[in-house]
Amino acid sequence: MKIVGLDSLIFGVDDVPGAARFLVDYGLTPVDVSEAGGRFEAMDGTSLIITRDDDPRLPPPPAPGCRLRKTMMGVADSAALQAVAAELRRDREVRALPDGSIESVDDSNFVIGFRVTVRRPFVLPGEMFNAPGGVVFRPVNSLGVPPPGTAIRPRSLSHVVYFVPDVLKAEAFYVNRLGFRCTDRFTATGPFLQPAGSLDHHTHFLIGAPPQMHGVEHFTFHFGGPSEMIANGCRFVEKGYQAFWGPGRHILGSNWFWYFNSPFACHIEMDADMDLHDASWTPREATLSADTSQTFLLKMRKKWTPGPGIHENGDYA
Amino acid sequence: MATTPDVTVAGLVRLCRADEIGEGRSRGFDPHETGEDTIFVLRSGGVLRGWRNACPHVDGAPMAWRRDAYLNADGTRIVCHAHGAEFLPDSGTCVQGPCIGKRLTAVPIVIDRCGDLWVMEK
Repeated sequence: MKIVGLDSLIFGVDDVPGAARFLVDYGLTPVDVSEAGGRFEAMDGTSLIITRDDDPRLPPPPAPGCRLRKTMMGVADSAALQAVAAELRRDREVRALPDGSIESVDDSNFVIGFRVTVRRPFVLPGEMFNAPGGVVFRPVNSLGVPPPGTAIRPRSLSHVVYFVPDVLKAEAFYVNRLGFRCTDRFTATGPFLQPAGSLDHHTHFLIGAPPQMHGVEHFTFHFGGPSEMIANGCRFVEKGYQAFWGPGRHILGSNWFWYFNSPFACHIEMDADMDLHDASWTPREATLSADTSQTFLLKMRKKWTPGPGIHENGDYA
Repeated sequence: MATTPDVTVAGLVRLCRADEIGEGRSRGFDPHETGEDTIFVLRSGGVLRGWRNACPHVDGAPMAWRRDAYLNADGTRIVCHAHGAEFLPDSGTCVQGPCIGKRLTAVPIVIDRCGDLWVMEK
């Protein structure tokens, strides 16, 4: 059952133009977008899809107030798609849709879809470093800081984080029915889950939460490295968007993070440089706290430089 | 993110002209120059009200998703765009989401004879 990761997240929103502008400013590429909504792609074709929240074609949300209507996962091939369908049909309805995908529901009431992945292979170097004693270096005369105005685009849909009312039941569904593996766990909070066809530390993170929080904590796309992620986050803040947490670097998964409020009734993250694990990895467990969730947390300030006459929020003026 | 006040007098900080905030609209302010908007003012049913920019679900969590964007699309609910909590604009009571029943913290505001909007400095 080779699920390779998230292909698309589908949200219903009350302000399509505002949400569309938000996603373009985040860095996604609009494709087939109108006032009714559309698709916003990362470099590999994974995407966020938005439409009006009263569109009757949308599946129902898992709980009132949740704007996520469907999580579409990609599988390796048609055999994997048939295997997922056969497994789910053992105890629930599985609908075959005209586009070749299948649709069902998980044990936490989230609508889930599966299709042969749309991910397009591409080759583009990630951020490289000149570390003394290193083996791989940024080439001589290539610059670490790209020219101002260089486009920064998310590369791939990374992960989604669900608030679920019964975290043990939710984990059992993804592990026992869909072949996910727990890579790490926050005790009494929930597991990081990796599907069989991905090496990413997680594509799903489940958080046990009271019923009124049932929904989504955040979702995110991968960027090409910490410099890209932080530069893109700074541009985002300068455009008036509200940062919530970060920039910083997580411990479990190691990914750089920066979280923002969003028009999707959840946070959106920018991430970079997540750990990769295979079946030989032994899951860790930690109690969630400020010290266990990040190795460091930075605090943004406006651009500033020391010098005479420059004192706006300056520490040394 | 911050909207810096332009006048401070007698324990009050001027925010803007009251008529700059239309019906069903909101605007954030940083009266104490913290670098981020700490309060917001909205007009609902013709009445201007001030609230702390702090969702009761996560202590002090900023609520807008974009500068001045504290309301839903039709301006009928205050929304915390962290996890979707929805509040009634007249009472600040959460009626949907993670902190149902809790309330936003009101911020006293004053409109002077010239139509300017002020907030107490503390």
